Amino acid sequence: MRIFLEKRVNTSSWGRVLVLGSALLLVLIISWFFFLVVGIDPQSAYKIVGEEIFLTKYGWQDLLVKMTPLLFTGLAVALAAQMRQWNIGAEGQFHMGTFAMTWVVLHFDGQLPGGVLIVFMIIMAMIGGGLWGSIPGYLKANFGVNEIITSLLLNYVAAAWIDHLLFGAWRDPDSNNFPITKEFSEAAQLPAFGNTSIHAGLIIAFILIAVVAWILMKTKLGFQIRLTGDNPDAARYSGVSIKTLTILVFAASGAIAGLAGFSEVSGIHYRLQQNISIGYGYTGIIVAWLARNHPLGVVLSAFFMSIVFVSAEVLQIEYGLPISMVYLYQGIILFTVLGSEIFTEYKLRITRLLV
Amino acid sequence: MDFFIQILIAAVAMGTPLLFATLGGVISERAGVINLGMEGLMLVGALVAFVVMLNSGNYFYAIAAAAIASGIVSMIHAFVCLMLRASQIASGLALTFFGTGLSGLFGDKLMGETVEPLARIPIPGLHSIPILGSVLFNQDALVYFSYLCVALTWWLLFRSRLGLNIRSVGEAPEVCDSLGISVLSYRFFAVVGGGMLIGVGGAYFPLALTPFWVDGITAGRGWIAVALVIFAFWDPLKALGGAYLFGLALALELRLQVLGIDISPYFLKMLPYVLTILVLTLVTIRNNRRGIQVMPAALGKVFFRGEKH
Repeated sequence: MRIFLEKRVNTSSWGRVLVLGSALLLVLIISWFFFLVVGIDPQSAYKIVGEEIFLTKYGWQDLLVKMTPLLFTGLAVALAAQMRQWNIGAEGQFHMGTFAMTWVVLHFDGQLPGGVLIVFMIIMAMIGGGLWGSIPGYLKANFGVNEIITSLLLNYVAAAWIDHLLFGAWRDPDSNNFPITKEFSEAAQLPAFGNTSIHAGLIIAFILIAVVAWILMKTKLGFQIRLTGDNPDAARYSGVSIKTLTILVFAASGAIAGLAGFSEVSGIHYRLQQNISIGYGYTGIIVAWLARNHPLGVVLSAFFMSIVFVSAEVLQIEYGLPISMVYLYQGIILFTVLGSEIFTEYKLRITRLLV
Repeated sequence: MDFFIQILIAAVAMGTPLLFATLGGVISERAGVINLGMEGLMLVGALVAFVVMLNSGNYFYAIAAAAIASGIVSMIHAFVCLMLRASQIASGLALTFFGTGLSGLFGDKLMGETVEPLARIPIPGLHSIPILGSVLFNQDALVYFSYLCVALTWWLLFRSRLGLNIRSVGEAPEVCDSLGISVLSYRFFAVVGGGMLIGVGGAYFPLALTPFWVDGITAGRGWIAVALVIFAFWDPLKALGGAYLFGLALALELRLQVLGIDISPYFLKMLPYVLTILVLTLVTIRNNRRGIQVMPAALGKVFFRGEKH
C-alpha cells in the first residue's frame, strides 16, 4: 500500500469554494482558541462581533467604508499578480497618492471649481502612486531586480516622506503641533451617501474594477498581460515587449493603490495625517490572493477582509484588544488558505504496490 | 577621530541583528526555501526576549526563549510550504503578518516597560588593539556570539556533511531524492534552524539597542536582511561585511542627527532603505553582466515526489 499526492489536472469551482470555505471555517476555530488564550469567552465574543457588524446600521456602514480602500489595493496587487509580479508596495503607493493629491489641495483649494479640483486630485493621486509603483517595475524590467524587496522597502521611504511633510512644511499652524494638514474645503471632499460615512470612493472603486476586468479579459493588452504571466517565453515570441509591459503594469498597479489613498483622504479624513492607512496596502496582498487575482473576485474578498477589520474594531472597543490583532488574523487567514490549496491542487491517491 | 570610532562601534551594534537574521536567511535559502517572514520572526524574537527578560532578568533565558519561539513559529512556514506545498513567497508574507500581529497584540501592554541593556564586556588583550579593538572587542556578549555564529554557519554549510546535504537539497532536490537524502527533512531543519537565528537577531533589539518596548521595534530591518542574503551571495562570511555596511548606514542616521547636521531626520530615516535598493540593483546588474549564478538553483521551487513509483 502506498499513499501519495497526485497533481490535479483541473479542479471544479465547487471544489475550490468548498476548500476555501473549510479554510475560513478553520480560521474561526483557531480564533476560538485564540480568545481562550487572551482570556475572553469565545461564545460571547462571536455573539457581540456578529451582532455589532451584521445587526446594526453602523456595522454595515463600517463594512462598506473599510471595504472601499481594500477594493483599490486588492485590485492593484491582483493586476500585477496577473503578470506574476508581486507588488508588495501598495502601502507606499497609497501614501504617495495621498501626498500628490494633498499637494493639489494645498495649492489649488479655493481657486478651482469643485469638480475640476476633484478630477485634478484624482489624476495627481494616480500619478503619485503610479510613479512610485513604476520604480520597482523599472528596476525589475531593466535589471531583473527582485520586485518584492524593492516594492516593500519603498513603503518605508514613502512613510518617512509623509512624516517629513507632516512634521514640517505641511503642518497646519493652528493644529497645536499635531502632525496634520489643514482641513480641506468642501470642494475637495468626496460626497457621502445621505448622512452615512459611505462615500463616492466606493463607486469609483467599482467602476475601476469593471474597467480593469474588461481590459484584462477582453482586450489585447489584457491578453498580453495574462500571457506574460502564464508563459513569458510564448509572450516574447509573439512580440510582446515584456519590459514595457512590466513597467506599465507596475505603474497602473501603483496608480490604483494611489487612488486608494485619494479615496481615504478625500472621502473620510479631509486632511493628510498619520495612520490614514491601517495596513490597507498590505491587506491588498491577501485580498488579491483570496480572489485568485481575479478583479471581480476582489469584490468578495475585500468584503471579507473588511469584516476582519471591523471585527477587530469591535473587539478593540469591547475588550480592549489592540488593533494590530488585524495583522495576526491576516497571517492566520493567509496560512490556512495557502495550506488548504493542497486539496485543490493535488488529490490523494492510494495504490497497491505490485512489487 | 573619536567620533568615527563611535560611529563604527554603533555600526557593529546596529549591524548585529541584521547579521543574525542574514545568517538565518542564508541557511534557509541554501536549502532552497525563501523566507520572506524574517520581519515577522524578528518581531516574535524581540517580543519573547523582552517578556522573558522582564520576568526573569536573565539574558540567557531571554535569548534562548527568543530562539525557541521563533523556531516554533518558523515551523508554520516550514509546514505550509514544505508539507502542504504552498507558495514560499505567500507563506513568508503570511509569516510577516503573523509575527507583526503577535508582537503588536502581546506587546500592547508592555509599552513603557524597560529592561537593563546588555553590558559591554571588553575582551582582555584584544580590546586594546587601536581602533579595531574598541570597535570589535568592546561589545556585548551577543555581538561576540554573532561572530561565533558566522564561523559556525560557514563551517556547517561548507565543511560538514549536514551542510553539504543542506546545500544539495537547495541545488538539486530530485538528485538528492534519488540518492535517498530526505529533501523535506533537511529543508525543514534549515528553515527552523535559520528561523531560530533570525529570532535571536530580533532579540537584540530590546536587549541591547532599544531597551524598552515600542510597537514594530524592528522597523523593517527584517526586510533589509532579506536583501542582505542576496548581497551576501548566500555566503555567511560575506554576510558579515554586508550587515556592518548597513549597520553603518543606520548608525550614521543616528549620529548625524546628534551632530545637528541640517538634514531632515526623515531623510536620514530613508537612507538605509534607499541604500538597500541601490545596492540590490548594483549587485543584480553585476551578476547579470558577469553571468554569475550563485543563487541556489532550486530556491523557491516546490519539491514533490508524486510522480515517482
